[in-house]
Amino acid sequence: MSGGVDSSVAAALLLEQGHDVVGATLKLWGGASDSGCCSVADVDDARRVAQTLGIDHHVFNYTEEFENLVVTPFVEGHARATSPNPCIECNRHIKFDLLFDRAERLGFDAVATGHHAQVLRRGEEPVLARGADPAKDQSYVLGYLRAAQLERLLLPIGAMTKDEVRAHAQRVGLRTWDKPDSQDVCFIEASRGRVAFLGSRMALTSADLVDVATGDVVGHTDAAELMTVGQRRGIAPDREGHKRFVARVDLRARRVEVGRLEDVMVTSLRLDADSVTFARSSLEDATEVWAQWSAHGQPRRARLRHGAAWTLELDEPARPVAAGQTVVFYRAGDDTIVEGAALVSS
Amino acid sequence: MSLYYFDHAASAPRRDEVTEAMAPWMHGVVGNPSGSHRAARAARRAVEEARDVVAAFVGAKPGGVIFTGGGTESCTLAVAGAAQAHRRHHERTTLVVSSIEHHAVLDAAHMMARDHASVEVREIGVDTDGVLDLAALYDALDDTVALVSVMCANNETGVLQPLSAVAAAAQARGPGHVMTHSDAVAAAPWLDLVDSTAGIDAVSLCAHKMGGPVNSGALVLRRDVAIDALMPGGGQERGRRGGTVDVAACVGLAAALTCVEAERRRGHEQVRARQARLRAGLSALPGARVTVEAAATLPGTVHVTFADVASDELLFLLDQEGVCASAAASCSSGAAVSSHVLAAMGVAASRARGSLRLSMGHETSDDDVTAVMNAVERALARLAAETGPSR
Repeated sequence: MSGGVDSSVAAALLLEQGHDVVGATLKLWGGASDSGCCSVADVDDARRVAQTLGIDHHVFNYTEEFENLVVTPFVEGHARATSPNPCIECNRHIKFDLLFDRAERLGFDAVATGHHAQVLRRGEEPVLARGADPAKDQSYVLGYLRAAQLERLLLPIGAMTKDEVRAHAQRVGLRTWDKPDSQDVCFIEASRGRVAFLGSRMALTSADLVDVATGDVVGHTDAAELMTVGQRRGIAPDREGHKRFVARVDLRARRVEVGRLEDVMVTSLRLDADSVTFARSSLEDATEVWAQWSAHGQPRRARLRHGAAWTLELDEPARPVAAGQTVVFYRAGDDTIVEGAALVSS
Repeated sequence: MSLYYFDHAASAPRRDEVTEAMAPWMHGVVGNPSGSHRAARAARRAVEEARDVVAAFVGAKPGGVIFTGGGTESCTLAVAGAAQAHRRHHERTTLVVSSIEHHAVLDAAHMMARDHASVEVREIGVDTDGVLDLAALYDALDDTVALVSVMCANNETGVLQPLSAVAAAAQARGPGHVMTHSDAVAAAPWLDLVDSTAGIDAVSLCAHKMGGPVNSGALVLRRDVAIDALMPGGGQERGRRGGTVDVAACVGLAAALTCVEAERRRGHEQVRARQARLRAGLSALPGARVTVEAAATLPGTVHVTFADVASDELLFLLDQEGVCASAAASCSSGAAVSSHVLAAMGVAASRARGSLRLSMGHETSDDDVTAVMNAVERALARLAAETGPSR
């Protein structure tokens, strides 16, 4: 229970379904937070909802693990010019690993969250599927979950739209019914942003922006670590007015390469072999998949190859994708079903 | 489900004597003690009678008693109030505090240092048993020191601190130069403060650790020390703490003090016996270590650590059986936080993660002790049995 409306309604639904429910909020971040997730105010909201529902509520302290497994890798990833997704790491290491283990030790049969996604029974093993509300689907951040974890996971609101979730919360009298959704990362204050956060933990590198077509220096940045491969924001169009995108960030050379789409687009992505995870069994070489590499990005048809290395061959060229980003593979025949995930490597 | 309440150190069960004493001041006309009419005078009288009780409990004059809204306010008044008064007349103001003080003292001191460039905090460490390092204290005392604050007994471990040495060290700097303060919130239910805090200039205590109401406390001054009011408005408590004095709260505090004094006179032997039994029983469990080996402690507190156990999980399982206990402090979110006290004692972080504090009162029975020992044993067995990846 994060203190948001989704997990509030998830708890309410579980009770209606006759489950014996205990609410748990994770204390993950001890610093300032205004994102709407995990601050003391959010814990208060979760606690109040639990009280309204008549269930016990506990707060579990995972701040040390969160710092070691989520925040530090986030900072270090940026220092290497990669773009890790901390919410995915939190799900992998904290919520669906440490918390799952704890729940088992404490005698619970399952863990439920308010994620907009669904656990479906298709044959023998459970599958993870997109949530019913396409605008809110969160299957992407759960992309690394395996069948063994899905067996013990309940996602009660996955078949509802956001509006339905809020309506249910209001009906039940939960004070979070109209609470805005949390934005951005829970440990980065919206008011200060990533620059301030990363800048407080590491030295940031200034760099020239260089057009790959002409070799000209076309701009400058004080924080190259914050430039994401594939990004267009903050890059001026070229003289003909064509948009330019970040193709490469070279911190050592203090150089960020930018260029028109046709100059920088990619037709395949290299994947980090150690990160490749399948929900069930490994997919065969050259399996067709729908690949999605951002939380609400457009999935693209691709083939997953594993010869000497793991690669994703795209049917259509695309904007370059930053190393450290996660790609989730959805089933070719049913693009709502998650098959697995992997990290993009440089 | 039966409740086995082993968290007296967090808040002690409300005493009937307290409720009875407070009742008349909780309904009908209760005059504002600052007024001049008979209702006000009646209220004022109740406050002054309570003030006499508090003064006698600490061994100070009634004029030295400042009623506050609890222990944290009392400590903050002492620390921040002393710092403010000192820095107005000095170029440098050093606040010397033990590293195991309650956050009421530590946070107030650090807040002063944060807000004023001329204020600095010096923390004095403790030994592995949690007793103040007196040599380090002596080294820390120089001409810039305004205040030395050392608690009478620690709220997590129960360990008693060498206050007479602290008082002597401050006195040695020259009479009246260094103000001494002691947070006696944890100690007041058990110790004779007249003796235990003798020579200390300012003593903090609060009612709810003794079975009185919450948000009722006092800062008792043995000497007329310079302390700025934090909340001046209204001039109550001789200009040292503004705001209408809460008659019921003062009466409740006095009633609680009277009760603990009576208990102390009857003796704590039975509590000590239960403490010893609980310590022995827990130390026999797998992976257990009693935190305090030799140092003298308050009678009601038992603190242990368990290897490879998370406090969050142990407390959860104990709670399922009706056992109320705690580990270190809680932060405002309700999550257990790692203990600065154990860290100061050199307890390894991995061990400190598995800490458990059980704190009893006189009404805790032998059966209660048996029940909690069994519950802890069962919880540990359960946590050991469930396999999971090692951390």
